[in-house]
Amino acid sequence: MPERNIEFGKYGARGIKGHEAVARQLDALAGYITTPVTVRRGLLARLHYLTRTDHARTAARVAGLTVTDRTLRAWIDGRRAPSRKNLERIDQAYRTVRRQNIARYLTARLNREGRGTRVEIHPLNQSGVDRPRQRVVEFRTLNVRRWDRIVAAWAAGDDPELDNAWIDQVVDLGSQWGQYEYVTNIGFAA
Amino acid sequence: MADFEAIDALLARAGKDVALPPVEERRALRQELNLSRAELARALGVSPSTVGGWEAGREPSGDVREKYGYFLEGARTKLAAATTEEVSVEEPEGDASAVAGPGVGQDDDVDVLAVARPCVLCGQPARHEVAGYPQHLDPAECAAAVTGTTPAAPTTPSTQSPTPSSTRHHPGARSAGGVRIVPTGRRVQAADTPDLIASAVAAALDEHAGDADAATAALIKRAIPDAMALLDHSRKGGRYDVIAHPWLPDILRKQTARGADQIWEARPKWTRPELPPGEHEVTALDVNGAYLSALKTHLPLGQLEHSTGDHHDRRRAGVHLITPPAWEHDAFLPNPIGSRDEPGPLWVTEPILRLLLRLSGPKYALCEPPEIHESWTSGATEGLLEKFRVALKDARERAIADGDEVTLEYVKAMYSKFVSTLGESNYNRELYRTDWMHLIRSQAFANLWWKAHRAYDEGLMVVRAMGTDELHVIGDWRAVFPEGRGVTEVKIKDVYTVGVGPGPDDHG
Repeated sequence: MPERNIEFGKYGARGIKGHEAVARQLDALAGYITTPVTVRRGLLARLHYLTRTDHARTAARVAGLTVTDRTLRAWIDGRRAPSRKNLERIDQAYRTVRRQNIARYLTARLNREGRGTRVEIHPLNQSGVDRPRQRVVEFRTLNVRRWDRIVAAWAAGDDPELDNAWIDQVVDLGSQWGQYEYVTNIGFAA
Repeated sequence: MADFEAIDALLARAGKDVALPPVEERRALRQELNLSRAELARALGVSPSTVGGWEAGREPSGDVREKYGYFLEGARTKLAAATTEEVSVEEPEGDASAVAGPGVGQDDDVDVLAVARPCVLCGQPARHEVAGYPQHLDPAECAAAVTGTTPAAPTTPSTQSPTPSSTRHHPGARSAGGVRIVPTGRRVQAADTPDLIASAVAAALDEHAGDADAATAALIKRAIPDAMALLDHSRKGGRYDVIAHPWLPDILRKQTARGADQIWEARPKWTRPELPPGEHEVTALDVNGAYLSALKTHLPLGQLEHSTGDHHDRRRAGVHLITPPAWEHDAFLPNPIGSRDEPGPLWVTEPILRLLLRLSGPKYALCEPPEIHESWTSGATEGLLEKFRVALKDARERAIADGDEVTLEYVKAMYSKFVSTLGESNYNRELYRTDWMHLIRSQAFANLWWKAHRAYDEGLMVVRAMGTDELHVIGDWRAVFPEGRGVTEVKIKDVYTVGVGPGPDDHG
């Protein structure tokens, strides 16, 4: 099955796209602030991260936090509380800036000077598929040597590009790679 | 004594010594005399498994130790005599070799070949087969065959064939001169077995110019990556892959950053409620390398799968939601599920479930069987970390024997940090097996429970069982647990007295 799936889940298979699992694992490795933005502690941590330097302020503005400095100061001092829409924007800007900040370091960790990182691919869940239609899909591992495109697409939040970058790696699994377009989990360390 | 005469009948030589030869030698001595465990056990008046235990590292005590020492000493002198008079060895051995029959055929892997086939080591005809590979059992024969080339070749089988029992050397016994081999393709190769631990220690000592403290600190710092490298190495050629990043169910995920997940590991924290009146001397015992021993447990291989219903599959392992049975022996023995305050169902791990099932069985009948509601399990094996464990255990034993503190600390850091960073730790991102972490810890607790039970069974009074490795007992514990630093032995942590008349003040 050397192609992308057309009607995934028609017979009851469950799974997520490979690139979504990769993004999830990269997010886990990125280590965001755990406290939610709705709590004051979490909000302050994010605002401090986004206003620490001029560089950070610019990055935050580019990432969509287009409020005046006066408003930011009012939020930090607690004189005003951000609206729900702005809380979402703060969280989104924080994630984007954080991803961009660690992308270079993460790429270097994953490339390991060209040795690459071993990736585990856990196949899709077939427990909902009728017995005659179930196929043997094994657990596979893959060594990914070049992470630059994957991490760059993840940092930019560009899902189609991340999908393409990931599929380019998955093709190395052989002619059955289409079975691994959807997975339950993708695991790797950095 | 009459027993001594029985041994005399087995052994022609006298000589007795209570200091026993080292563990590795004991089995070799017995086997070289072609004596079975059962024969020796009958002569000593113990069970065959006890003899097996002595040969595996346990130490006999009391006057049976004297007898066993007498046997080993005699066997040693007899063998020494046998090697000097090589030719006449067959006749005096009479009774011993007659029972053993064809001698080498007794060993599991060694077979006698009817027709000589080329030896895998030297290519010359050999009459024995080890694990399917025809070879000479004695490296000297190989060497002789190689140096003697063609004229020696036809004579080798002819001299050997009438005396198949003359091969007292079998592969188990010859550890000194032998070369370990592995099949590669259509040939064999000398097995490449680098000692990762010893080489790491040597390199660290070299780097720090023999400064033991600095070398230890450096080694402890790299203990986690080294343990992972050792694990990878130990899985070479193994049947199963170590799956490091499976999908985990929510019960195994921490609910908050600092919080815990929902698994109950059953850590024991138990103190006997009351002691009989009078003064008691309590000994706090410490189990050596509890987590190292606990690496031998049923570990789920792949991703955990959900199932419901009150059914336990022995070939699978994982975590189970159970309603624990009531425990009525709290006055004498700790509750196997630990000191749980909350009633109701809880998620326990495989070792604890197996412990409960065993205790509810007809042999012990200490409690009702637990009721299993749901399970997250996967096909399991006990051998996954076995090579890893044995490598660490051997290095530890060698370090203790040599008084090598650097290796000892290094090995300790390797296994303890391995266990503590198995889960979602940022110090070890190569392995995210929270399930294994819980299972290994629980296995250590279950092992401690069995030690407490054994003490109770042998008539000791168990006072406390706590943590992973601490057991407080009253009574002659030396008759139950061997003392020492090996993983099967215990060491004393503390000795204290409790209870002068009324008001027993419990030690903290």
